[in-house]
Amino acid sequence: MNQPKRRSSCGSDEHTIHRRLFLQGTMAASTASVASFNGLFSVPLLAEETKRHGKKCILLWLCGAPSQFETWDPKPGTATGGPFSAIPTNLPGVHISSLMPKCATIMDKLAVIRSMSTKPSEHFQGIDALTRGDMPRPPFTRPILGSVIAEQLGQLDSPVPQFVLLDPCPEGNEFKAFKAGNWAGWLGAQYGPVRAGGDYGIPNIKQLDSISQADHSDRESLRKFFSKKYENDRRSAAAASHNAAFERVKGLMSCAPLFDMESLPQSDRERYGGGAFAQHALQARHLIENGSTFVMVANGMPWDNHVFQHEMHQMLVPELDNVLYQLISDLEQRGMLDDTLVIAMGEFGRTPWLNDARGRDHYPKAWSLAMAGGGIKGGVVHGATDAEGFEVTDGKVDNRNLFATIFTALGIDPHEDYDLPGLPTFFRVEEDAHPIKEVLV
Amino acid sequence: MERTDDKRMPMAILGGELSADGEMIAAACMDGVYTLDLQSGVRKKHYTHESYARTAFWLSSNELFSTGYDGQARWFRLDSGEENRHQKLHQFWSWDAAISPDRHRYASVTGQYIAGGYKYEPAEEIEPSVVIGDCETGDVVHRLPHVPSVQAVAFSNDGRLVAAGNLMGEVRIFDIHSGDCISTISTADFTSWGIIKSHCYLGGIFALRFTPDDKSLLLAGMGPMRDPMAGNGKQLWQKWEWSSGDQSKMIDQIHDGENGEGLMEALAVHPEGTMFAMGGRLRGGDWNVALFSLETGNRLTTLKTGYRVTTLQFTDEGQSLLVMGTQGQPDHKKDGAFPDFGRIEKYRLS
Repeated sequence: MNQPKRRSSCGSDEHTIHRRLFLQGTMAASTASVASFNGLFSVPLLAEETKRHGKKCILLWLCGAPSQFETWDPKPGTATGGPFSAIPTNLPGVHISSLMPKCATIMDKLAVIRSMSTKPSEHFQGIDALTRGDMPRPPFTRPILGSVIAEQLGQLDSPVPQFVLLDPCPEGNEFKAFKAGNWAGWLGAQYGPVRAGGDYGIPNIKQLDSISQADHSDRESLRKFFSKKYENDRRSAAAASHNAAFERVKGLMSCAPLFDMESLPQSDRERYGGGAFAQHALQARHLIENGSTFVMVANGMPWDNHVFQHEMHQMLVPELDNVLYQLISDLEQRGMLDDTLVIAMGEFGRTPWLNDARGRDHYPKAWSLAMAGGGIKGGVVHGATDAEGFEVTDGKVDNRNLFATIFTALGIDPHEDYDLPGLPTFFRVEEDAHPIKEVLV
Repeated sequence: MERTDDKRMPMAILGGELSADGEMIAAACMDGVYTLDLQSGVRKKHYTHESYARTAFWLSSNELFSTGYDGQARWFRLDSGEENRHQKLHQFWSWDAAISPDRHRYASVTGQYIAGGYKYEPAEEIEPSVVIGDCETGDVVHRLPHVPSVQAVAFSNDGRLVAAGNLMGEVRIFDIHSGDCISTISTADFTSWGIIKSHCYLGGIFALRFTPDDKSLLLAGMGPMRDPMAGNGKQLWQKWEWSSGDQSKMIDQIHDGENGEGLMEALAVHPEGTMFAMGGRLRGGDWNVALFSLETGNRLTTLKTGYRVTTLQFTDEGQSLLVMGTQGQPDHKKDGAFPDFGRIEKYRLS
């Protein structure tokens, strides 16, 4: 019979003291001193040991799908080009939208793919394919990118959540429906995201004043023992998920200060910009710096501009421009860019033609995204579309190629199969789809 | 209303004006500024902006004035076929422009909506949002402040005032001689903070016009909603009586049961002052252009054009209504070019 998992602490007074110091520190009112991974530990060496030096990833999830014409693949002067002009970048001969002047100065650090060509043309299916890497195969649920990366590169026993979704918008139409689904899939609930940001907050992670630290710890041990026994006796996935949730809450209680945006330097907050997406991109940087492995930053589904295309893109694109610039600059300054992959993408692109509602509609046939750092070579523009952006003319990339590229960049074998007893054989990337070698370091 | 004319233009028409003699149209299109002879149907592209042309006006029978999303104003002479002046008005684009009734002054409004706060409150302007200038010399007379983005502008009938309306539903009324802001109107009814798809502001005032006595302003746009990006908010007009300072008050708005759904972006007041027209894009309901009594606010008649209406103008004698706009851009070319999708129609009022 399986034995309950042993406590990692031997129970000595020394450990008890450290544990109490640890909790006192993290339950204190938020201050900059504890709002960091190191601040969670009374013994600095313990912090360094826990903070494994590995690859990390920030996904700027541009849900709703930005227009490639108003970002990475402008077509100025053409019938489909839209109203915004193009500007030169620090890569000779490469132009991007005039809405992105800051990214124009760091194109040597970016890899832009202008030849994405995918199948789903509706949001839910597009989000599914571009966050899981493949089309659905019911009844099996492929884990989302963040879950795979958390499982491969993260530390399950870390007090800091390994996969965080920062999304202040609890709505989001199809994205709302998607968010309500099973993100971790066959990897299990322990690899699902911790959700935070804006309207979500993280409820119920403050320990009640009426319960002492020791009581709280003992109750948790007792609960853990019985529920683990139940889980093992019955091989219960529900109990496993329940346990994973408790583990996560325990971790969140210990690292709550990391989620306190107020604790971040005001100068940083101003640099990133006032909007929720920008603030959470900064928070993503902070989480990655302090032990998270994968942070996904979203803000509802603001890019779905069937209506008000120009009105929305004039605001959203400059925000994205600044966020990417600040994030990549910060990571580079901190010596983290080589180990941190930043991806900015949505679920597809938008039509070359303008509809009669002032907008562009869904277009998976030919679209763009950008990446930087974490094993990705900067200064590369991969692929091309025709003069008016209707078709990919060079270097076509689909979701499988993209995921093969992401996994390879992060040092994860894209073609390894999952160890799934009783399930069909699944690979991280199916059909041996090849990565885009041109953009890999 | 009976349709008496139906013409096509190669590209979307974002603005335009009928000439004083009623025979020619100046059209600001996505790809440049055109004229169209209504009688013969002959259309000609005369010049371009560096981006979309947004407005086009007749300064005389021989001279066009236009503004564009390049932030430029351009003057063009038809007899010589040459641009005779241009003026950089804004760093960002011209959202809208207007010409004074005597054709001596122009006004153009701009402003990029940049997130200024967590809820995407618009940041303060980085350049003056309202520009007033001289049509003859091109010189800018005033650069006046507002909160971006400022999407609609109009002159009063006596030519002394300029009203400019923005994303957040604020209208500022300026004296064009002194440049002073003499009144403001503030209405939250044209702006939404998106709940469903986006946490940001969307909408605003897309058209405004002074009533014939200049004492009131008509405002047009889309009513507030949880998902402004769906575009199916209430087709909305409001009538505001403005007065000095901030004592303005709303005196009428579209009546219950008379609206459908869609963004309204065009207004025109009948020369006799008896009625006004509002138009835009139909999202739900059975009309996208309607006539309303100026006195009672009652809806008089409706049109369902089948395309987005960007410009409305009554002919000088008041017998007809000119309707301009655009269908959706075709999704493929035919014989090497996109089929025409700009629309111009004329309706006789009965």
